[in-house]
Amino acid sequence: MSPESILAELQAQHLLPPEQAALIRADEARRPFSLHRELRLVLYLGIVTLSGGLGVLIYENIDYIGHGVVVAGIAGLMLLCLGYAFRHRQPFTWAEAPKAGFLPDYALLLGCLLFVSLETYLQVQYGVFGTRYGLATLLPALVFLPLAYRFDHRGVLAMGITALAAWVGVSIQPLSAFVTNDFWHSRLSTAAMLLGLGLMAAGLLSEQHGRKAHFAFTYLSLGSNLLLIAATATLLAFTPDDAGLPPLVLVPLILLVCAALVWYARRTHSYLLLLMGVGYAYVAVTYTLVRLIDAVGGFNEAGFTLMLLYIPLSAFGVVWLFLNIKKILRLK
Amino acid sequence: MSLHAYNPDWPRHEALQAQARRWHRRGLLTAEQLAAVEARFPLDFYRPHLFLRIGLFLFTVLGALASVGFWGMTTQFDFLGTLIPCLLIGAVVLELVIRRKRLYHSGADNALLYLELLGLVTLIGYVVFEKLDQEPGPGTASLTVVLLLILALLVLATLRYADVLVAVVAYLCALLLLGNVLLALPFGTLLLPFVLGAASAGAYAWFTRQLRRPDRLYYRRCLAWLRGLALGTAYLAVNYWAVREGNAALLSGYAPESPQIPLAWLFCLLTAAIPLLYLVQGLRRPDRTWLWLGLLTAAFSVFTLRYYRSLLPAETAATLAGAFLTALAVWATRYLHPARHGLTSAPDEAEDQQLNLESLVVAQTAHSAPDAAPAGVQFGGGHSGGGGATGSY
Repeated sequence: MSPESILAELQAQHLLPPEQAALIRADEARRPFSLHRELRLVLYLGIVTLSGGLGVLIYENIDYIGHGVVVAGIAGLMLLCLGYAFRHRQPFTWAEAPKAGFLPDYALLLGCLLFVSLETYLQVQYGVFGTRYGLATLLPALVFLPLAYRFDHRGVLAMGITALAAWVGVSIQPLSAFVTNDFWHSRLSTAAMLLGLGLMAAGLLSEQHGRKAHFAFTYLSLGSNLLLIAATATLLAFTPDDAGLPPLVLVPLILLVCAALVWYARRTHSYLLLLMGVGYAYVAVTYTLVRLIDAVGGFNEAGFTLMLLYIPLSAFGVVWLFLNIKKILRLK
Repeated sequence: MSLHAYNPDWPRHEALQAQARRWHRRGLLTAEQLAAVEARFPLDFYRPHLFLRIGLFLFTVLGALASVGFWGMTTQFDFLGTLIPCLLIGAVVLELVIRRKRLYHSGADNALLYLELLGLVTLIGYVVFEKLDQEPGPGTASLTVVLLLILALLVLATLRYADVLVAVVAYLCALLLLGNVLLALPFGTLLLPFVLGAASAGAYAWFTRQLRRPDRLYYRRCLAWLRGLALGTAYLAVNYWAVREGNAALLSGYAPESPQIPLAWLFCLLTAAIPLLYLVQGLRRPDRTWLWLGLLTAAFSVFTLRYYRSLLPAETAATLAGAFLTALAVWATRYLHPARHGLTSAPDEAEDQQLNLESLVVAQTAHSAPDAAPAGVQFGGGHSGGGGATGSY
C-alpha cells in the first residue's frame, strides 16, 4: 500500500484532517533516504575483515618489515581508534548513554579487535606471557569490560564476556581448550556452568540496581546459553564422565534456569530468552523420561509406544503453550 | 470458498497500522490519532514475535513428523498408505487452525504448509519416477512433466497462502523448468544464460508492476521478495562462475578443471558490470532492493574473481579490502551527514527498532581472545592465527 493510498484511506475514515495529510505528504517527499543500516553493515564487515587480515598478515611478512614496525604499526592504529573513540566519548552515566553517532562505537570495536591481534602477536613472537595462558586470555577481559562500561558499548561487553569464557576454559585445561572440540566432556563444563551462573547473576543485579540495566540482556543471553549448553552437553554425553555433575543435579539445574529465563522473559518481553527456556527445558524433560523408561523396564513394547505417543503429544503441547503464551504468562 | 486462505483485511490493516506507526514515530501523527487508527483497523490475527514463531515452527515440525511416524507404525510403513492419509489430514488441520486460531504466518501454519507441499512433491516424484518408471535427468521429458506439476502446485499454494518461501521456490522451479526445456533443444546450452537472464529481467518488471497494484496487497511480501530474487537470478544467469561451472556440470565425463566457455569476455564483463549497475541504480532511485542486491552481487563477483585468479594472497586481500570498506563507510557516513542528494547516513526514525542482538553478533563473529597456542607451535603457515572471523567458544 503506497503512503498516498493510506492517506486517502485515513481521510476517508475521518481519522486525519486534510491539513495534516498535506504535511505528511510534504514530509514523505522531502525525507531523505537513510543508508544507516547499509553503512553500518559495510563498516562492520570492513573492520572484521581488516583486523582478521592484519592478524594473519603480520606473521607472513615478518621477514620483510621487521617486528618493531609491525608492533608499532598495529599499536599506532589501535591507539588511533581508541583515541577517536575517546575524543567522541559521552560523559559517564550508569544509564544508557546517548550516542553521538555510530563511528566512535565502531572505532572502539576496531581498537579492541586490534588489541587482540597485537596481544596474540606479542605472545607468539616474544612470549610476553610465557606459559601463563590464563593471564594472556584474562587480559582482554580485563581491558574490554571497563571499556564497555565507560563507553557504554554492548559489543565490547560481549567480547569481554567471551574472553572471560576463554579464560575459564584455558585456565583449567590450557592446551586443548580450543584445539580439540572435546570442550564439554570434562571438568570444563562445571566451570562453564559456574561462569554462566555468574553472568546471569551479573545481568540480574545490573538491572536491579540500575547499573547499566541495558547490559542485562547481553549478560543473561550469553550466560544462560553458556550454562545451558554446558549442562545439556554433559547430560547427553553418552560416555559418562566421572568429573561431570550427575543428572540428578543437572536436570533440576536446567529446569531451574529455564524457569528463571521464562520468569525474566515474562517481565521484559524478551522472547529469545523465552524460546531458549522452553527449548532447553523440553530437552531436559524428554531426557528424563527416556532415562525413566530405560530404568523401569527398558525399551520393550510398552516403553516404545509411550515414547511414540509422547513426542507428538508433547510437541503439540508446546505449540499450544506458545499459542496461548500471552494468556498463560499474562503478558500484555 | 474464497481463494485466499487468510482474511484479506489482515494484510491491509497491517500495512495501515505499520505506516501510521512510522508517521507517529516521526511526530506526524499524535498518539490519539495512532490509537484511533489502531482501533479502526484492528489486527485480530495471531502472529507472535519472531522468536516465538521460530519455536512454533520447530515444535510443529517435530510434532507433525512424529505423528506421521506414528501413523506409519499402524500401517506397517506402507508408503502410499502413510503418505496419502497424512496429507489429507494435514490439509484439513492446516485450514482449520488458520480459521479457528486465526493464525497468520505464525510459524505453525508455515510449518504445516511446507510439510504438506513437501509430501505432495514427494508423491509427484514417486508417481512419475517410480510408478511410470522414468529416468530422472536434465533435459528429459519426464523431468519437465514433474517440474510442471510441482510448479502448478506451488503457484496454487502461493495464490492461496501468500507464503514467501513457497513463492520463492515456485519462482526457482519455473526457472528450472525453463532451463530444462531449453536443454532439450539444439543450441539450448548456448542460449541458456541469455534466456534465463532475459526471463529474470522480464519477471522483475512483472513483479514490480504487480507490487504497485493496490489489489495485490495480499501478496505484497511475496512480490517484494520475488522482485529482489529476480534481480539476483538475472545476475547469476550470466555470472561467469555460474555459467562456466554450470556448463561443466552439464557435460558428460570428468574433467580436472571446468573447460573455458565461449563468449567468456562477455560473461566476465557482465559479472563485473552488473553489481556496479545495481549499486548505482540503488543509490540513484533510491531503492533498497537494488542496493542490497548490489552489495550481494558485488561480494559474489569478488568470489568469482578469486576463484579463478588469486591476484593477492588471501590475508593481503582481506587487509586491503577491510581497509577499503572501512574507509569507504567512514567517508560516506561523514559525507552524508547532513543529508545530500536525498541520502542520509542518520538513522531513519520511521524505521522499526532493531532486534537487540548486536552484542550477540559481535560475540559470535569477533575474535575476542588470543588463541591459546602451545609454545611449541609457531605461526609459520599463517593458517592458525587470528584470521578466522568466526570464533566459537
